[in-house]
Amino acid sequence: MNRHQRFLTRHNGATARLNEAARSLERLISRLGIPASQKEQFMSWALESLWNNFTEQRMNQRIIIENEIRNLGLRFPNGTVRKTYFAEFSLPAEKISDVRLEGISELGLEFKETEPGKYTLSGVPAIHGDFNLTLSFNTVEGEPRSVFSFPVAFNPDPRSIWKDMRSELNRKGIKPDWTTEYVKVPADENGNPRKDIVAASIQGRSHAHEARGRDDHFAVEYCPDSEWYILAVADGAGSASRSWRGSEIACNTVVEHCRELLSGNEDFNKAIAAYHADKENIPLRNEVVRYVYDIVLKGAHKAHKAIIQEAADTPDAKPRDYATTLMFVICRRFSFGWFIASFWVGDGAMAVYDENSGDIKLLGKPDEGEFSGQTRFLTMPEIFSDKDIVSKRMRMTIMPEFTSLFLMSDGVSDPMFETDRNLNDFTKWEEFNSLLKNGFPEDEIPGVDLSDDNEEAQDQLLNWLKFWSPGNHDDRTLVVLH
Amino acid sequence: MRKLPVYILLDCSGSMYGEPIEAVKNGLQVLTGALKQDPYALETAFLSVITFDSDAKQVVPLTEIANFQPPQLNASGCTALGEALSLVAKCADKEVVKTSEEKKGDWKPLVFIMTDGEPTDDLNKGLADFKQRKWGTVVACAAGTRANTDVLKKITENVVSLDTTDTATIQKFFKWVSASVSANSMRVEEGGGELTSLGELPPPPPEVNIVI
Repeated sequence: MNRHQRFLTRHNGATARLNEAARSLERLISRLGIPASQKEQFMSWALESLWNNFTEQRMNQRIIIENEIRNLGLRFPNGTVRKTYFAEFSLPAEKISDVRLEGISELGLEFKETEPGKYTLSGVPAIHGDFNLTLSFNTVEGEPRSVFSFPVAFNPDPRSIWKDMRSELNRKGIKPDWTTEYVKVPADENGNPRKDIVAASIQGRSHAHEARGRDDHFAVEYCPDSEWYILAVADGAGSASRSWRGSEIACNTVVEHCRELLSGNEDFNKAIAAYHADKENIPLRNEVVRYVYDIVLKGAHKAHKAIIQEAADTPDAKPRDYATTLMFVICRRFSFGWFIASFWVGDGAMAVYDENSGDIKLLGKPDEGEFSGQTRFLTMPEIFSDKDIVSKRMRMTIMPEFTSLFLMSDGVSDPMFETDRNLNDFTKWEEFNSLLKNGFPEDEIPGVDLSDDNEEAQDQLLNWLKFWSPGNHDDRTLVVLH
Repeated sequence: MRKLPVYILLDCSGSMYGEPIEAVKNGLQVLTGALKQDPYALETAFLSVITFDSDAKQVVPLTEIANFQPPQLNASGCTALGEALSLVAKCADKEVVKTSEEKKGDWKPLVFIMTDGEPTDDLNKGLADFKQRKWGTVVACAAGTRANTDVLKKITENVVSLDTTDTATIQKFFKWVSASVSANSMRVEEGGGELTSLGELPPPPPEVNIVI
């Protein structure tokens, strides 16, 4: 048999089977008593209802699968621009095919099936906003593709939405939005290095965001004739309109006052030496306290009065518009060690840190209310009418040696220490010192090299003060005697 | 870091069905959209949504703005405002960090309550639970004419009212909530402490009336 004959045989066989089926259908129709005239109409009706039934079932199957997937409650977590995004989800792979997720490539994302039924959406979102992703898949053959829309939100990089604007005070040259200072103190006559001062102050991100300028201030000085160091930091209250000036007056007034009273004051130095030689001797101690009272406490009071005076001389100004904290310290190296005296009103931190002995000495106690922001200000009259002012706010101490003396506004101490208790914890200070030295590598902020005579330390410190800490964007000031 | 918790209590009773509930959903979108653009709020504010109909549910636990996803809201049932007040107190106990010696706690939570009707449950128990906690600003909003401002005055002195519950008005309310959260976030970051009275919040738009 050739090909053609084979075809004919098969064809004839098929025709015969078809004829057989038609005949049995005819028999059925006549048995049901369907008149020949309505046969055609009936056939078309029967097939159509079967078809409808069939498609309805198919659709129901699709809807069942769709509902099942809807009930999975699939949601995409929010992402952040320029931060790796990763979301994972599962779908019933045995029921669906050709799963696609559209609207993602322009967002910088990639959709993958990692194993049957397991999907990932990952990448680095390029733009922020609310977007809709379209998930589509096939369910039952012959049914249209199922389409779901999912919202996804990408947040802006929180750091990118801080504006960095110069203040009017800065533009007018009245008070710069940031400043630094390095006081290089030459070695003594025997060639021993002497401690230097490095200081920096910068307006907080929250201030820069609104061009509000810097309310913090510092003033530092080394008096070559008397060999005294004077360091002051003040933090003007954000809510007080002239606090930028209050902090400035406070720092400058105390530094000037201390410089004057310390200059050529050999009697004070002698009193300190005498007291050191006989520490149990109360009259000798009182003698030193008297000097410290005149120099330190009166300096603080002078600063208070200077602010009141300026408020009185300024139209529409009240002293509380100048609300500022103030911490300052005078210190000098003697043959037996360091004499340190200080005054502190308000928050922030002021401490002597000694790496070798593992000692941290807070030079006072920060004023903190139950809630932050309820601190005390130099401008408050009750500060100076308080009979316990000496014990509360003045400190004096003699230390053989120390690594660094720190003064900082709460813009630095809050993110670094958080609570008063931590301020008394040496390990917290070790961490702080190590951050200062090593910087914040993940944010590409290098540390500060506090070697002797390194004048670049002031710029390093300024840059260091730009560290990122969520929720902490106040002005930052740090003064280090090292 | 110290968060600024914001609790939003939404009436999802049957009377909110239709445009009002859609407007509220939209309002939450507007609120989070605006806060995401605000660097203070984005870092500090945390949002939670509590709905109340026949009972009260926390549909979104306290979540940072960046991760917040607007919840599905459906309107049906009564107005269990009392239960909602008890629930917010319970949630705050669990979610708001208290100040300890090692750690500064969170800021006092802001609470925004929106209702369009009278409470149908026992308000006094909820009120007692609520008053036992420390809150920052608490604002109660009477949406539409059926809400009872006298009842809301028992919860807080800061009561505002909306004349209607249409989309535009409800959106204005949520914009104002967003501005208030922003102002608070900024204030706490400045170390100024929380705002506590209506007078310190940004002035409300004309659609939001202050009830004296």
